[in-house]
Amino acid sequence: MKIIKAIYNFIVGDMFILIGIALTVTILVLINNVSALASLKGFSGLFLVIGVLGSLVASLSREAFSSPR
Amino acid sequence: MQWVVFTAAFFASAVEFVEAFTIVLVVGVTVNWRSALLGALAATATLAVLVATLGVALVQWVPLDVLRLVVGILLLLFGLKWLKNAILRYSGLKAVHDEDAIYEETRAQLRARGQFDASSSRFDLFGFLLSYKSVLLEGLEVAFIVITFGVSAATSTVSRSSGIASAALGALLAGLLVILVGALVRVPLTKVPENTLKFVVGIMLTTFGTFWTGEGFSVAWPLADVFLLILAAIYLCAAFLLIAWLKQVKKQQQARAIENQSAPTTAQKQEVIP
Repeated sequence: MKIIKAIYNFIVGDMFILIGIALTVTILVLINNVSALASLKGFSGLFLVIGVLGSLVASLSREAFSSPR
Repeated sequence: MQWVVFTAAFFASAVEFVEAFTIVLVVGVTVNWRSALLGALAATATLAVLVATLGVALVQWVPLDVLRLVVGILLLLFGLKWLKNAILRYSGLKAVHDEDAIYEETRAQLRARGQFDASSSRFDLFGFLLSYKSVLLEGLEVAFIVITFGVSAATSTVSRSSGIASAALGALLAGLLVILVGALVRVPLTKVPENTLKFVVGIMLTTFGTFWTGEGFSVAWPLADVFLLILAAIYLCAAFLLIAWLKQVKKQQQARAIENQSAPTTAQKQEVIP
């Protein structure tokens, strides 16, 4: 458990960023593999950039509003 | 030479080496230079072995498409971490890394542990381990960037090796520069704009991470590689907007805190006056 936590802290250290990127990647996997979503394939790049920016904004918002500094 | 890889590795390494140098300097001044330098050298050797073995393994056995996707995601996570911290520091929500404070704090801790004779050249295990640990921990981030960046920036097995070499060269040059300047001034390197470097590297890692993750999902980026510049511009603009917004948030929080402090005082005064 300690090792997993150390790796987590080393690579990302932020649950919001981790979940945000994981969600974005999941959406891209679905778009690439589900035929019903194939029409969205052209927007994969856009989804990725929005996912990255969304994760950053969510993480910063939590830092700014979580506790009074 | 792959200059983008070289530059990213150089900046990232400079930041990490400045942080490691502070601890090595404290050990050198407080314990003795022999233990401090031996610890730093041993950690550098460990990191070199790590880069060589992992780098070669990745170059030889992992297909480029898989590598780009996995490394792209890892770089995204890593880059966002750096970018987030740099934005928080610029907006004043997080304290800027203070090498002087770290130097004094570590020095006080070392002195509290017992009497050290800095003029003695006797090997001290504690000093060695402290120096080794700090260089290794800071250097691991450098090794991570060197391997991931070096391997993914290339398009073939041959250029993947040259990618790692470019990144390693950037890291080496940064390390030598920090050691040289540090040896000349012998004080913590407070003048190095650590946060600016972290911000720049954060933007670079996030940009490349996005690009390679996209390529891993067969995204056809408009204008091919030139789109990297557009991505960097998008993230840069977003980062500046976020800094401005967070500064505003901090101002509002401070104003609210002052209001809350003054409110009870006014209430108390009203209670005293009949």
